[in-house]
Amino acid sequence: MNLPTIISAKGRGNLAAWLLWGLAAAFVAYTFVAGGYLIAVLHFACIYTVFVTGLNIFMGFTGQVSFGHNAFAAIGGYTSAVLTATYGWDPLTAGVLGLAGALLCALIIGYPVLRLRGHYLAMATLAIGLIVYEVAVQWDSVTHGYMGISGIPPLGIGRFTVTSDRGILIFLMIVAGLALLSAAGIRRSRLGRAFVAAAGSEDAARALGIDVARYKLIAFMISAAYAAIAGSLFVHAVGFVSPEVFGLPMVVLSFTMLYVGGIGTVGGPALGAIIISVLPESFRTFKDYQDLAYGAALIVILIYAPRGLASLPELWAKWRRRAA
Amino acid sequence: MSLLRLDGITRRFGGLVALDNVSLEIPGQGLSAVIGPNGAGKTTLFNMISGFMPPSAGRVQFDGADITGQAPETIAKRGLIRTFQLVQLFEGLTVLENVKIGCHLHTRGGLMAALLPTRAARAEEAAVEAEARRLLEETGLAAQAETFAAVLPYGQKRLLEITRALAARPKLLLLDEPAAGLNRQETDALAALLRRIAATGTAILLIEHDMNLVMNVADEIAVLDFGRLIAKGKPDEVRRNPDVIAAYLGTEEAAHV
Amino acid sequence: MFDLVAQSILSGIGVGAIYGLIGIGFCVIYNASGIVNFAQGAFVMLGGMLTHAGMTKLGLPLPLAAIGAIAIVALSGVALERIVVRPLWNRGSTMFVMILATLAAQIVVERLTLIAAGDQPRTLPVFTDLPPLRVFGFAINFQFLWIVGCSAIVIAGLALFFSSTKTGKAMRACSINRDAAALQGIPVSRMLALAFALSAGLGAVAGILITPTQYTAFNVGVPFAISGFIAAIVGGFGRPLGAFMGGILLGVAQALAIVFLGAAFKNVAALSILLLFLFVRPTGLLGSAK
Repeated sequence: MNLPTIISAKGRGNLAAWLLWGLAAAFVAYTFVAGGYLIAVLHFACIYTVFVTGLNIFMGFTGQVSFGHNAFAAIGGYTSAVLTATYGWDPLTAGVLGLAGALLCALIIGYPVLRLRGHYLAMATLAIGLIVYEVAVQWDSVTHGYMGISGIPPLGIGRFTVTSDRGILIFLMIVAGLALLSAAGIRRSRLGRAFVAAAGSEDAARALGIDVARYKLIAFMISAAYAAIAGSLFVHAVGFVSPEVFGLPMVVLSFTMLYVGGIGTVGGPALGAIIISVLPESFRTFKDYQDLAYGAALIVILIYAPRGLASLPELWAKWRRRAA
Repeated sequence: MSLLRLDGITRRFGGLVALDNVSLEIPGQGLSAVIGPNGAGKTTLFNMISGFMPPSAGRVQFDGADITGQAPETIAKRGLIRTFQLVQLFEGLTVLENVKIGCHLHTRGGLMAALLPTRAARAEEAAVEAEARRLLEETGLAAQAETFAAVLPYGQKRLLEITRALAARPKLLLLDEPAAGLNRQETDALAALLRRIAATGTAILLIEHDMNLVMNVADEIAVLDFGRLIAKGKPDEVRRNPDVIAAYLGTEEAAHV
Repeated sequence: MFDLVAQSILSGIGVGAIYGLIGIGFCVIYNASGIVNFAQGAFVMLGGMLTHAGMTKLGLPLPLAAIGAIAIVALSGVALERIVVRPLWNRGSTMFVMILATLAAQIVVERLTLIAAGDQPRTLPVFTDLPPLRVFGFAINFQFLWIVGCSAIVIAGLALFFSSTKTGKAMRACSINRDAAALQGIPVSRMLALAFALSAGLGAVAGILITPTQYTAFNVGVPFAISGFIAAIVGGFGRPLGAFMGGILLGVAQALAIVFLGAAFKNVAALSILLLFLFVRPTGLLGSAK
């Protein structure tokens, strides 16, 4: 698969996409050199790249719906936070355990949930996100409720820790890059073909011997794994976790990124994550305005540009026709 | 020895009997066909065979095993591959990818192969690519390999669905009205293709409306009317069968029979 | 213990009636359009918040503030339909996109409220400030009577509206077959707007009735919406009366969960009921309307 098809599965909008990739790369380079506050923004973008890439495997590739992947980020994040901050575990071991926990939950939940369709599937996944949120709030002895857990140590293995902002950024960029590479690998493999077949036509896929129910579950678990990794990375990068971190706004935010970048494309999540992280930060507004902006932006995108950046050339053509 | 054996297949929808005690044997080679007027129960029969709908009564045996009520993917795994009356392609993917998906059953790669492209995984991918291209060559779609399935003209969509089914290396290929919506020229080309497929040893069972195609290619024909099997035999025998003529009398097909 | 349980059941019925009203709101929109409006909770929250604002900022008496709030929320329902739902509807968007857009609208309304009113919880005075009635040893407070009474009136009014008025009948026709209704000359798109107005009004009523017994804040919407949705599912989606009964069932179950498991499990219990129904009996207790 050559690069343009990785960026835009539809083959259109390549120029706009290349341009945006260029701008994104230039921004990353500038931030890296200039440093300061924007580095934290890029940390955020990298972590969300991982999360949204996972979501994209389940929704974009496999054509399913989940409003509750924040649950798996919370499981990963809280496991890391509790084990490292409270019990002094090594971040890597704690993260792996969080990942295993998220996978186990995805397996147990996914089996009954994925038999549902339409509104029921949407509501059931939303409920899972809310249940985990409630548990994070109520399980005071472990999670400290709304107060959250602070003093989470930075990333590291054994005695080696990554503490400088640039060091953390390099590490997170490597992880985000690996997430994208694996998504690309999955997309062009037999596994990925089974996913997109389930999305395209379940009947046709089954008639060709593809066990659709099984592949949906696999896609669900893979995306839960990405979410758990993103959750662990988040708590270590920020040093703090509370239930709000993995609340409903996280779901809306990740959907905004997914749709801006282009759902179903391999590179879209990264582009969406960078753009959506950077744009509101450039206004330096408060958190409340950010969630407001994400929500409004998502509505506008859904109405006017449902294929994300890939719809840009279409919109441009329409606008020119109207102007002429 | 027959490859597919239907034993007293019955299907009721509420009070309506769509299939009434149909028994049929399909040989392991050559081209068989099921014909019948609209609403005779042909597609229902296909759904029973391919596992998309369980029969109310009766058994389906395929390749020596009882497959009654098994899931479609399980039945496909045994080598019984079907197409659909309304073409079911993966519209958002290219023609080549559609055919590659057809190779699912006789390849192995899972998550490990996707993440770590070892030599074995790469070899398998290359083999899939080669086989898909070879099949497209055979069915005459090679030039469209990189085209999106959604934008193919209708006749080529039908052809692609058959190509994709072939990629699954079926023992028995079930074709649900493959000539529906094709013009004369395309139908002739399809007939030639079906004969070529049958000649390679893949048995074919088709449901068809188009009498020209059926009389032209089928070795054996079974006739359904109102859910009942009313005749079977060689094309010439079926053509002269008074029951068949009566069933088709007054319908458009009567002229062709 | 028996007294405590009985008292909890009673209060559960009160809260459950509120869930029922919200559930009916889901049904009204779903029947008119096939859309599940995930922003339903915003209406509930706005009902309580706007009434509070009317009383404290404008000095209005409670009834006037409540009526004003219901009217404004109904209008905001129409606005949601015009600004978000209509454009997607016209483009033939998928169900999933519609859910996502209404969920985003929920967040937008929530955050706007947070910016305008802050994050402090508010409450309303009880409608009748008298000591609770004593019946067979149970305390029945007046807000409970208000809730049950208003719900009964609202449901009777809705039943009358759908069975006896021309507009109500037209909306029912839309729910049975939209295309046929359009061919009969029924303005389907206006019915959609009306359904949103009606459903938003219902949400506002629910929000105003419940606020005196609890509190309201910018973020109470989603839990209420989930409860209303559960009520609608339990009742068999699309059946307004079923949704109301489902709501009462949920309210009681939740009240019992608080007694036996502790207050912390209130929401977890509700969500578990949702999952249970989705997995075991997604058509609800009575079977789905469609």
